[in-house]
Amino acid sequence: MKKQLMSGNAALGEAAVLSGCTCYFGYPITPQNELTEYMAKRMPEVPGGTFIQSESEIAAINMVLGASVAGARAMTSSSSPGMSLKQEGISYLAADELPAVIINMVRGGPGMGNISPAQSDYLQATRGGGHGDYRTIVLAPSSVQELADAVPVAFDLADSYRNPVIILGDGMLGQMMEPVSFDHIRQEKVYPKDYILTGAKGRPARKIHSLLFDTKLEEEHNWKLFRKYKGMEQNEVRFETFLVDDAEMVVIAYGTSARIAKGAIRRLRQENLKVGLIRPITLWPFPTNIIRETATRVKDFFVFEMSTGQLIEDVRLALEGRGHIHFYGRPGGVIPTPVELFRIVSRHYYQSQQVKK
Amino acid sequence: MAHLDDFEGLTPAWCPGCGNFAIKKAFKEAMVELGLEPHQITIVSGIGQSGKFPHYVRCNTFNGLHGRTLPVATGLRLANHGMPVLAFAGDGDCYGEGGNHLIHAMRRNISVKLFVHDNQIYGLTKGQASPTTAEGTVMKIQPFGVQSEPLNPLALAVALDCSFVARGFAGDGDHLKGLIKEAMDHRGFSLLDILQPCVTFNKVNTYDWYKTRCYHIEPDYNPENRVQAFEKALEFGDRIPIGILYRNHRHTYEDGIPMIKETPLVKQPFDLSAMKGILEEFY
Ligand SMILES: Cc1ncc(C[n+]2csc(CCOP(=O)(O)OP(=O)(O)O)c2C)c(N)n1
Ligand SMILES: [Mg+2]
Repeated sequence: MKKQLMSGNAALGEAAVLSGCTCYFGYPITPQNELTEYMAKRMPEVPGGTFIQSESEIAAINMVLGASVAGARAMTSSSSPGMSLKQEGISYLAADELPAVIINMVRGGPGMGNISPAQSDYLQATRGGGHGDYRTIVLAPSSVQELADAVPVAFDLADSYRNPVIILGDGMLGQMMEPVSFDHIRQEKVYPKDYILTGAKGRPARKIHSLLFDTKLEEEHNWKLFRKYKGMEQNEVRFETFLVDDAEMVVIAYGTSARIAKGAIRRLRQENLKVGLIRPITLWPFPTNIIRETATRVKDFFVFEMSTGQLIEDVRLALEGRGHIHFYGRPGGVIPTPVELFRIVSRHYYQSQQVKK
Repeated sequence: MAHLDDFEGLTPAWCPGCGNFAIKKAFKEAMVELGLEPHQITIVSGIGQSGKFPHYVRCNTFNGLHGRTLPVATGLRLANHGMPVLAFAGDGDCYGEGGNHLIHAMRRNISVKLFVHDNQIYGLTKGQASPTTAEGTVMKIQPFGVQSEPLNPLALAVALDCSFVARGFAGDGDHLKGLIKEAMDHRGFSLLDILQPCVTFNKVNTYDWYKTRCYHIEPDYNPENRVQAFEKALEFGDRIPIGILYRNHRHTYEDGIPMIKETPLVKQPFDLSAMKGILEEFY
């Protein structure tokens, strides 16, 4: 396992290339520019590789649509304001059941916000984001290695479900450098793409569209998508647990927040406070069951995120009133420190013990 | 009467030597000479080093989303066409991301004054090619050179019968000031493309590069001849014309709306009783 030191953004690019991505379309935006830069240099070395700096994010996502329709593994990336612009294309990809990988290295918002790391696009990512009844699988890595690991998984999920897959990172994961290995990335599975446009010689023409004027047809199409999403909910939930077995309080955090939480929990453990972590790796489908199971034993859950409270909505839905939810969030591109979180969690921990006595 | 200092805003965070400083200076002088005061004007900007412009001068400011400068300025202007509305944008901002809006603002001929800081690069995002970067130029994410032809904003504008089309150069401050005043005085949409050296990221289009090429359009040139203006607009190479390339006297978008002909919308009384007849009819 040879490792190299790379920024998260560049690692995403290399992982995409090794996963068979041949079409990348992007538009500059901080803090994900290094990914676009990497693809600009790397794509020409890939057989059939194509890179375009598009005129806008809307153009980029629609180029992805086109490449996907033609059967290529296609990807685009952006950061929050640009991600908002991509939503029309993501809705369309979902409606047309086309695979694509879309990366959002989130920054502080709303509006123009700033270029600092944030987790404020959680709801946009997990609720579809664009118009219509649809879902996207959302992967939330929390290190440079995990960013690289998420990419082949994202492409495989996209192809096997014929659905757009989002990788939700943030400015910190994109910019920081860590050792990373790509040895494990292999393109083994072949996906029969019997829906792509390859020319209709000797067979009826394929027409890809999501315009269904007949309400009954549109309804049936929605139920078909719904059944697919149910399958994802059953089969694709991914999460990590950390020191949960004996925990009296369980932190729920993802991505960068989960890293910070682990640092805080190590300190809390040194003080003999029994705190653990559940880290959703898929934000959608959400790891509802593990949280619900944990709630049969643990009463106190602590949601920690870099926003004013978005992940907390899913935790609330998972708990359905079982257990007590504590919360600490910081929006606007502020990155809380492990020491800060350690102080806050320990305060809540002691206070809830007082209540229990 | 306002003084130059009255238009001073926050301290700019532009690089030393940036062409934007000269644009700011010319702008302030033009406003003072036009007898305008900071509270009388509104500047809309997008995102980019250019988008920071209204932070660094004193005025009413709306700093909006990347590329969306002109639709916002259009809305502002329709709600209050008694107020001069200026739009400051970058070449990426308004020829790339917001290119579609530019086309339609010119078609409508809404009286917005558009000043484009054209540095032929994406400055704020640190050096990618913009729509005006020359073909073949090696840039951060164009390691093999730009593969598309550059956009010619002035030829586009003349083709669309844009009612005021001009080019200035940040290295020629007095001339630029005159163009800003002309653009302000014009009735209708004004496009002033300003060549603005980016000293940090654009090592091709430097002050020297522009200086050896820019020339003042001849005094006997007639900017009302559209075909000739198109030819002038195509000149961008060894020689680059600066000055007013084209001007016409089309009616403005505001002129065509009878409801605001006499009084700007925001100055009109809010009178619910005007709705009385309609309310009675339906309830
Ligand atoms: C929707 C959206 N996409 C991308 C960006 C990132 N971005 C900020 S400024 C900019 C372009 C800057 O170039 P230009 O408009 O030429 O302005 P300059 O900095 O050169 O003055 C871009 C792409 C953004 N802020 N919002
Ligand atoms: Mg620019």
